[in-house]
Formats: sequence, C-alpha cells, structure tokens
Amino acid sequence: MTITHEELSHAASGRGFRRRAVEEFRLTSEPYYLPIGDEVALFEHAYREKIPVLLKGPTGSGKTRFVEYMSWRLHERTPEGATEGVPLITVACHEDLTASDLVGRYLIEGSETRWIDGPITRAVRVGAICYLDEIVEARKDTTVLIHPLTDYRRLLPVEKRGELLEAADGFLLVLSYNPGYQSALKDIKHSTRQRFIAIEFGYPPREQEAEIVRVESECSDAIAAELAKLGEKVRNLREHGLSEGVSTRLLVYAGKLIARGITPRSACQTAVVWALTDDVEIQRSIEEVVSSIFPE
Amino acid sequence: MSIAAEVAARYEPELAKFGQTLPEDLAVAAAALEGRLSAEELDRWAESGVRLARRSLRSWEAAAEYFRAGPAVAEKLSAAELLAWGEAAGSLADRSSLVAAAYLRASPGALRSLPPGDVEPWARLGDRICRGSWKSIALATSFYQESPELLESLTLRQLSRLVDIIEALAERSYELAARCFEAAASVLAPLSPADREPFLEFAWVLTRASWADTRIYFERAPALLAQVDPPERAALLELAAEVTASAGRAGFPLFASAADALRGVDRAEHPRLIRFAQRLAQASTVAAMEYLKSAPIVGERLTADQMARWSDAGLEILMDQGNAEGAEAFFRLESARAERLLAQLSARVELTAVSPVLRLYAKALTGETVAVHPVQELEEKGIGWVAGQATTEGTAIYLPSAVSTFSDQRDNVQVYKVYATHQTGRIEFGSFDYRHGEPGAHTSPPRLPAGRPQTPRGGAERPEEEPDRALTEMQRLYDGFSDRSLISALFTVVEDTRVDACTAREYGGIRLWLRRVQEQAAAERPDARSMPLRSAYVEALLRTSLGNPEGIEWPARHRGLLREGIAALRIVEQPGATVQDSAAVAAALYGLAASLPNERLGGEEQWVAADEEMLALAPAMPGGEGADGAPQPSADAEGFESPPQPEFRGDFKPELVQLLMRLREGAGETDGDGRGTPLTAEQLQELLENSTEILISEMAEGDLASTVSLFLTNLERETNLPSGGEQAPVRERSGDGSGDEEEPADEEPAAPEVEYFQYDEWDFRAGDYRPRWCTVGQRPYEEGEIDFYEETLVRHHGLVTETRRQFELMRPEAFRKIKRLEDGEEIDLDQATEFLVDKRAGAAPLARFYYRRNKVERDVAVSFLLDMSASTDEEIDKQRKKYDEDDDFDGDPAKYFQWLAQRRSLRAADPPKRIVDLEKESAVLLVEALEAIGDAYGIYGFSGYGRDNVEFYVVKDLDEPFGDRVRRRIAKIEPVRSTRMGPAIRHATYKLTRHEAKVRILVLVSDGRPQDHGYGRDRTEKEYAVHDTKQALIEARRAGVTPFLITVDKEGHDYLKQMCDDIGYEVVADIEQLPRRLTTLYRVLAGD
Repeated sequence: MTITHEELSHAASGRGFRRRAVEEFRLTSEPYYLPIGDEVALFEHAYREKIPVLLKGPTGSGKTRFVEYMSWRLHERTPEGATEGVPLITVACHEDLTASDLVGRYLIEGSETRWIDGPITRAVRVGAICYLDEIVEARKDTTVLIHPLTDYRRLLPVEKRGELLEAADGFLLVLSYNPGYQSALKDIKHSTRQRFIAIEFGYPPREQEAEIVRVESECSDAIAAELAKLGEKVRNLREHGLSEGVSTRLLVYAGKLIARGITPRSACQTAVVWALTDDVEIQRSIEEVVSSIFPE
Repeated sequence: MSIAAEVAARYEPELAKFGQTLPEDLAVAAAALEGRLSAEELDRWAESGVRLARRSLRSWEAAAEYFRAGPAVAEKLSAAELLAWGEAAGSLADRSSLVAAAYLRASPGALRSLPPGDVEPWARLGDRICRGSWKSIALATSFYQESPELLESLTLRQLSRLVDIIEALAERSYELAARCFEAAASVLAPLSPADREPFLEFAWVLTRASWADTRIYFERAPALLAQVDPPERAALLELAAEVTASAGRAGFPLFASAADALRGVDRAEHPRLIRFAQRLAQASTVAAMEYLKSAPIVGERLTADQMARWSDAGLEILMDQGNAEGAEAFFRLESARAERLLAQLSARVELTAVSPVLRLYAKALTGETVAVHPVQELEEKGIGWVAGQATTEGTAIYLPSAVSTFSDQRDNVQVYKVYATHQTGRIEFGSFDYRHGEPGAHTSPPRLPAGRPQTPRGGAERPEEEPDRALTEMQRLYDGFSDRSLISALFTVVEDTRVDACTAREYGGIRLWLRRVQEQAAAERPDARSMPLRSAYVEALLRTSLGNPEGIEWPARHRGLLREGIAALRIVEQPGATVQDSAAVAAALYGLAASLPNERLGGEEQWVAADEEMLALAPAMPGGEGADGAPQPSADAEGFESPPQPEFRGDFKPELVQLLMRLREGAGETDGDGRGTPLTAEQLQELLENSTEILISEMAEGDLASTVSLFLTNLERETNLPSGGEQAPVRERSGDGSGDEEEPADEEPAAPEVEYFQYDEWDFRAGDYRPRWCTVGQRPYEEGEIDFYEETLVRHHGLVTETRRQFELMRPEAFRKIKRLEDGEEIDLDQATEFLVDKRAGAAPLARFYYRRNKVERDVAVSFLLDMSASTDEEIDKQRKKYDEDDDFDGDPAKYFQWLAQRRSLRAADPPKRIVDLEKESAVLLVEALEAIGDAYGIYGFSGYGRDNVEFYVVKDLDEPFGDRVRRRIAKIEPVRSTRMGPAIRHATYKLTRHEAKVRILVLVSDGRPQDHGYGRDRTEKEYAVHDTKQALIEARRAGVTPFLITVDKEGHDYLKQMCDDIGYEVVADIEQLPRRLTTLYRVLAGD
C-alpha cells in the first residue's frame, strides 16, 4: 500500500482517511525539495555505504522534507526502477520515549500476551529509512539502544524476546536534531553523535528561499521575495531575544495566507510575529520590520 | 505787631530755653500760618508746639520739626485737623521724641497721598510699632521715614496690613522686621496696584505660618512674580496665600517653585493653568501648587488639549475619588498613573521608549549589532561630532532624544523609524565601504579634477612624490579635490539620495513614511535665492533628492547645469547602484558646481524650478568634460558653505567613520597592505587640518597640537573600548510591568561591581506606584575570615549532621518506578495477574498493568534574604527592646555614611551573641543542608538608607558555586542600617524570575517591621512601609515566586498579619531556635 504526497495532504485536511502499517508508508510522487548544496549527493552516498546520517539544523529548515525527498528519490534510482520510494518510518521523539516504545512490547490480549514490534524493529525488518526526529528530546537511555544498529554490525537486540535482528538491506538510521536549544540537558551524547555523518541545514539564501516560498505557498514572485527578505531580517535577531529565527515553514504559511487574500501585514503578524515569540518588545521590533517591508 | 509776631514773642522766652533755633522756627512758621489761622487758633497751635518741647529732655527736636512742618501740613488740613495732628505728635512723643520727630518730619510728604481724615490712623500705626525699646523706636522711626514713599503706592488699609506684618515679625526679630520694611517700598512700588493687596495678604499669611520665610519672600518675590503673566499675578498670590494657610511651612517653597515653573510656560497659558490650579485648590491646595510646578514638564510633552485631559484625570482622583494624597502624587509626577497617562497622551516620542525596539530593528535590518543612542552621547565622546543631528559612526546609530514632528504618537514612532532606517541604511547599503579607484555598477571610477589641488586647507604644500599618505579610502577621494567642503557636501547629497532610494526600493512599507518625512524636510528648506551659487546648486540637488524638484529655486541662465545635475542624481537611484557610483556622480557634480562662480545673485535674476522635461530625465553622467576630469573651481572671494542637512538624514561623515573602522580593525593586527599600522601624529594632524568632517567643540584657535592629542586620546579610547555598546550589558526587561527594572548608565570602571536597578514603590495613599522610586545597588558582599564557618560547623556539629541527613532524605531517587499505567515499558506481573483474575471473575478491571521508570528531578530555586538592619545588632540575652530609630539623618546620606564608618570602627572585638549572629549561623546550616539536596540557592542581605541607597549584598548568588568566598562572606555579615523591604524583595524576586526552575521560593528573615528614612510620611508612620512590603510580596507571588517571611520579632504578629495576608509567615518565639526552625521550614516549603 502506498501513498502519494497529495494523498497525504488530503489526509491532513480531513477529506480522506486511510489506515496502514507504519512500514508501508512510501512516497509515490516527488515531494518538492530545492537542494541548497551537495546534501542530496552526500545522502545518496551515505545510503549506499550504509552510513547513518545526522541532520542538524533549526526548526523548519527542511530536514524532514529532505528525508522524505531522499526516500522517494533513492528508490527511483534503484536498479528495479520502481516508482515508489523507500519505506520511511518517522518517529517523533519526546521526553517520555522509552526503549520499548522503539523496539516493541508485549500486549495482553484476552488471556494471552502478544508481541508488538516497535517502529525501529519494523524498519529493521523491512529495510526502511528510520527517521528519529528531534532525537535530543528522547531519554538518554533510549538512544543507547540504537548504537549497535549504527556501526558495522547493523544489529538490533530485542532483549525481551531474546532475539537479535540483523537489519535488512535498505535500512538506514537518520536522526535529526536542533542545536539551537543550547541546553546542557538537551545535548546529544558524544558516543551517539560520533556514529553519524552530519549534514548541516541552515536557512536557505534569500533567492532560494523566495523560490521555495513561492512554490510551496503559490504566492506571487514579489510576495515570495519580500517574505524571504523578511525571513533574512528577522533571523538577524537570533541571539538577541529570539532563540530561533523564523523558519521557512512559517514563511510558507504566511505566503499561503497572502495567496488566499489576507493582507501581507496581518499574514505576517499571525504567521511570523505572534508565532515566533511572546516577548512584547521583540514582537514590536519584528512588527516594525514587517511594516517596513510591506506597505499597508 | 502782627498776630504772628505776637505769638512768636509770647513763647520766645520759654522756647529759647530748649534750643537756640526754636524761637526762630516758630516765628517763621507763625508768619506763614498767619493767613490761615485765626489768632486764637494760631496761639493754640503754637502752644501745642511749646508743650511738645516741654515734654522731655529731647522733645524740643520734635518741636522744631513741628514748627518747620506746620506750614506745609496746614495747606492740606483744616485748623481742627491741624491741631489734632499736633496732638498725635504729643502722644507719640510720650513714647519717644525721636519717633514724634520722624512723624512730624514725614507728615508733609505723607499728606501728598494721604487724605486729611487718615492722618490720625496713620499716626497710630507708628504708635503700634513703637514699644518703648530702642529697637522698636528705630523701627517706628523708619516707618514714618518710609511712609511718604509707601503711601504713594499703598492705601492706608494696605499700609496697615504691612504694619501688621512688621509688628508680627518684630516679635521675632527686629532686624528681620527692619529689613523687610526697608525692602517693602522698592518691592511694592513696581507692582501693579491690583497686585499689592494680594501681595501683602500672602505676606501676612506667610508671616503667621512661617515668619522666617517673609524676608526671603520680600527679597525674591519681585523676581518670581516677574515670570508670571501680569494679569495672573494677583490670582497666583491669592492661591499661594490659600496654600500657605493650609500647608504652613511648605507654602513659600511651593509658591516659589510654582512661579519658577511658570517661567517655563508660554505666558498665554498662564491664565488657564492658574484657573485650573484654583479649581484644584478647593480640595487640595498642595495639589494645585504641584500642578503648577509640573506644568512646564507636562506642557513640553502635551498640547493644551492633551494637558487638559491629563489634568482632568488628576482632578478626578482628587474630587471624585476624594484621594488628595493620590492627586498630589499625580501632579507631582510621582505616580505611575500620571506617567502612564502622560505617555499615552503625548504625541512626543522619547528615544528611551523606542530605543529597545529600534535596536532590534536595526539589528534585523543590518544583521549587525547596532546600538541606538541619543546624539548627545556621540558628541560627548569628542571624536569629531558636535552637531546634535542624527548620525552613525559605523557601529551605532545616534538619534535625537525625542521626536515630535507630527501630532500623533504613532506617527512620530514612524518618524523615528525613518530616522533609524536612514542611519542603518548607511550601514546596510554600504555607505562606508568606498574603495578608491573601483568602478561602480553604473559608472567608472570617479574622474578626479585635472590638476592636483594647489593649496589644501591647512596651507601646507603637499609634495607630489608622496601621493598616498591617506589614512582612509575616503580621504584618497577627497584629496583629489581642492574644495573639500564642496566635494563632501555633494557626496553627502548623492549618497543620501542613494540610501533613500535603496530604502524605498527594499522596504516598501516604509516608503510612504519616508516620503512624508521627506516632504516635511523639503518644506523646511532655507531660501536658496540668498545663497551663493554653489550652495544654491547643492541645495537644488538636495531638493531633488528629497523628491521635491518643484521646490527648486535656480537661476534660469544656468538651467543646463541643473538639468545635468538632476540626470546625474538619477544614476544612483537605479537598482544596484553602490557607493562607488555615488562617488563618481559626486565627482562629476563637483565639476559642474566648480564651473559656477560662487557669488550671490542680484534681485533682478530670473529663478526657475525643475520643469517637466527635467523630471523625466533619464539617468546620465554629465558629459563633455572629457576623460581628464572636471576643472578645479576658480578661487572665489566667498568660501563654499554647505546648506543644512535635513534632520532625518543628519550628519554624514564617511571619512571619519572609515578612520574609526580602520582603527577598530587595526587594533593588534597588521595586514599586507599596511592597513592597521598605527597612526602617526603627523597623519592625524594632517587629517585634522584637512578634513571638513571633524568638528571638535573645544577646538581652540592656534592650539592645534593639544587638540590633536585630545582627539587622538578620544579616538583611542573609542576604538579600544567595545564600541557602541556592543559588549555593554543589555538587560532584557522582564515582561512584568510592575517591577520594572532599569539599569541606569553605570559604565564607570571605578565602581565595577555595583549594579544599579530601579524599582517602583507602592504608595498606598495614592493607590498607585511611584515610578522608579528606589535604587537598589547590588554588590558582592565583603569577605571576612574563613574560620567562622568552620567554627560554626564544629559548634553545631549535632544539628548540622541531623539537618543534612533530613535533607538527604528529600533527595529524590534517580529513577522512580511508576506503576498502574495503561501504557508503559513493561508489564508488571503482579498487576497483570490481578487483572486477569479480576477479568476471569467477571469484573471489568482497568487495564493498568504496565509500569515505567521515570527520572525524577528536583527543580527548586530558593533565595534567602537576610535583614541586615541595625536592629539585628541587638543582643539576644537582653530582653528585646523595640528598636527606636531616633537618630534620623534628615535625609542626608553623607551623615549616614559618616555614621556608618564610625560605627564600624567602634565595633567591639568580641561582641556578645546578637540576632545577626543567629542569622549567620542559620546561613551556615542552610548552606550545608542545601548543598546536600542540590537545590539552587542564593543568600542575600539587604539594608541601606533612603530610597536611593538600598543596598543589596550578594553573599551567594543563585548560580554561583559554593566555595571559600561564600564562606568568607557569611562570616562578614553584620548589621548596617535600615530595612526598606519592598525594593529588596522586588530585586530578589527579579533575580529569582531570571532563574529557570519549576519552584521558586523567597525566604525573608527579619527581626522587625520594615522601616527606613522616607519610608512613610514621617518618622513615626509605619503604614506606608507595611503596605509597600505587602505589595512587593504580592508582586513576587504574581511572578511565580513563593514568598515566606520569618521573623524573630515577638510583636511581629500585629503587622505581619496585615503585611502578609495569606502569604506564609512565621514568628519564631525562641530566637535561639532560628537556625533549626529555618531548616525545618525549608523542608516544608520546598518538599514535594
């Protein structure tokens, strides 16, 4: 069973509903991704060489989209020439994420217990790309679990069942993390991070960001250019009260609102100013930047 | 023999006994009076004089005056009145013949303005003053002496009031009375008649309320009143009298400052202000005066209408809420409400209000850290800027301290934005990035004029073989032109045009406001017709650049030059134009301007504006000059002077900025092309001589050497120090409005460790905050001996071990097993079995048989705030006495510090155990316990004297690691002075809120009620302090901090109940128990 990108967005808007096992998720059409550097080639080689990948970068800078894009693109390049992407299993990490959430657990059904594979186990079995989003959020003891998977062994021990799973060929572990938090509590362990090659994601340069915003939001060229300019200016405020600059995603949202007829100023107010910060002073500063760029 | 001769002869023998001249005086007088008086009357008159002479030893002198004045007096008086006049002299002579003589002597003069019927009352006035003592006699004498002059301006009634005043003063001091009296005539005469009575009435009230002020009043009143609109003076005086009647001693100072304040207000406004003050006076005279005092400050920020709305708000507090104290604070501008309203109503925008936003705005636009400062600051640096105009020196932007261009506040914020955008535009669009000889986007490198400049401004001939001594790229450009002022003015216009064009293109939103401000600036341009031609040319270009070519005034016969100039300006308005283009265009324009004679044109000249054709011109470089460049200007009688810059563009000094940037970069490193080599004095001197940009206010004629060295020192200081506040601590404001903290400029390296914070104080009477009322100085505490800490540990060995153990119990296990979960890591066998059993038995159990291990972290931050007031010096053994604050220092901090030093030196070597010692021991115990549990904790002490000296001592900061320094500081804790709790609590709260923790606790340890100088209406008042402390505690709780008070004051219950309301507090009955209690308490507070 497969899903296209369009279908996904249908699902998001509530028009369609579909149930499927996580490992069956594949992309069937090319998601929009504008390469900024050589990250596509890097990832392709890493995939071939089975080197796990760590994606670093601020929120909304396209990490998840990149993984989706790669999962689609990689499969197209396989000798079989299939039209569907590599299965992609995404786990959003949170602070209560435990090892059994990832590997699997026993459930009681009737008077029996039944074993349920966790997402990582499924990825290992089917040879999917397993994408652990925001890995720093997960409990430290959880992350140790993935270590044997990331080196030459490519093994997943399942203690409760006394099994050792060897990863299928297409399996690749991809982590993402946001170094912007800068908190000692939320840092990635060195023993973990040194098992990955890292690809850094920044916000794209103005012209490319304008292009992304235009394509994604279907707004006009001029608006996209102004939004990209706004993004650049607001990002100058990082470390000055803003822990993170405005993400491309937010700019796309603003663009979508504008394309739907909302005035640029109020679109930016909702999608940028209020979305970014609660600090009144910084809000005012960003408002001033918005009002400098967009006429009333 | 005539009747007169008969009379004279009759008394001659007797009179002769009193004095040689008397018979003669009588004879002359009698002869003069003969026609007016009957024989009998004349005789009675003469006899009266003789009786006068007879009264006492020296009364003959009075008699002589009597005879001499008689004829003149008789001209105004009837016979009967004349005799009465003499009788009055007689009764005066009973007291003093001197006084009588003075009375008689003054009579003719006094009668010029005095009606005959008033003579007697007038005489009695002097009688009132005369009390028999020689001082009173002197005073009465001078009363009569001054009377003729005084009566010219005063009615008898008014004179009588003056006598009332003098009489009252004389009871205190004759000197004072005499001095007022002497001043009276010269003070009263210049007043308008209508003002005299109010003047005297106020003086009368003042004398009764505060006699010592009367003299100052007489001395200063003329000058004070001169500041007031004449028709309003009487009203003001009446108001002052009312105020003094109720406010007593405060009356005169209030009047004086109100009158002074009125000087700062347009006279046309005076009637309105005084009318309103009169309304206020009905309920509170003090409020009325405070209103007048604040008028200039408020008037500067508000229009008349806005001010009326502002004052109505104060009136409402006074009348409708009946809160006189509140209204007084309001009008004194010591109320947050007043300030808020003022800020709301005012169209004027202060830089302080917008600078945090503008700073971030500038940072956003440029991507660099750009500080925002008022222009004055740059001038003070003495690095070449003097004019008070907006500008930038490359790393910071300097803006005027307030903007009130438009009548709406929001509009003025936009104006600020335009200012800021233009200045940041210079940074963002690279106005200072000029590289000599590089081409622009639309032009080739600037064509320098053909010949080298013959005579640079400094006069020294520059040798040809030394072409590149220039310090900056800009200097290389400017050096190519003999008239630096002209090229600099042209470059400024061109570059500003480019920056404005870039801004308008890049920032569509601000375009509109830029346009409005440009229009405003265009409307204020000076008349070009009176300028010499070259200035007029620059002016014409400036107007073009401001988008107002229609406003150009330009002589028709040079139309071609204008045309070429406008076309050239268009070049830099194109997209992509860089500063290189600006330089090339400026150089080309220089050629055009130089071809003009710099002379003023006659009145018959025909002037034109830019026409349709010029407006439609395409960008074009002026041609025809050939590749050799423009000519140098001909030598002219008149030097070129640049027209003033529009305010929003302000000063532009690219040469100086490049120099500064070079110095900043060059600090330490030297790169290949020799940039970064240190400046030589000669280079700098040359720069100073040549540059038209460097302006130094102290630049003394002929004293170039010292100016250069001063400039150099300033430059060094500027470029070595972190510039533009880049590294200066910028305190982010907390979102909470009530505990506003501000950091006053405290960059003095002399006191590096003290940080100042300002806090509002709650005035419960006014029901409002007093804005920025208290200054809290935070400093690390002094360090003492380390032994104390160890000794305490040894002494309290048992207690320490016990508390440590108890606290360790509070320490959470690293992982806690949480059972009975619907979802979890693993199945809990017991639960699962139970579940299955229940299920089989037919019950419908909840499927909660999972468990998980959760990491539990304590997340507590606590601050202990120790009262270090003098009262903690109290020995515990003695029965606690209420600490009386009987030596107040009358608000004089100097006395306080003196006292402090004395007290410290007097400290006995081995004092008995005091409250503070217990506080110290508690601190030791707490530290031990808290280190065991691992909570973040801070220990602070506070004391001080007065609202400006709240001292906040850091014994251990929240994030400071525990160590020997902390141990030493604890040992040093000792009593200081007062207990102003409010600001200390506010500051401790502020520090806690900046610390990330789930639970924040503030424990205040004190030994009594809050008290401090000025912490209440007077010394005895306790309410104010209690209310402010309560408010501070409430603020703390609102900020998510749990406050708790612990006191050893047995009488604490009465005020603590009021102060704490539902906030936790505890009175420790047995003082010795404090250390034990504190630790126990903490476990309760911070336990989970």
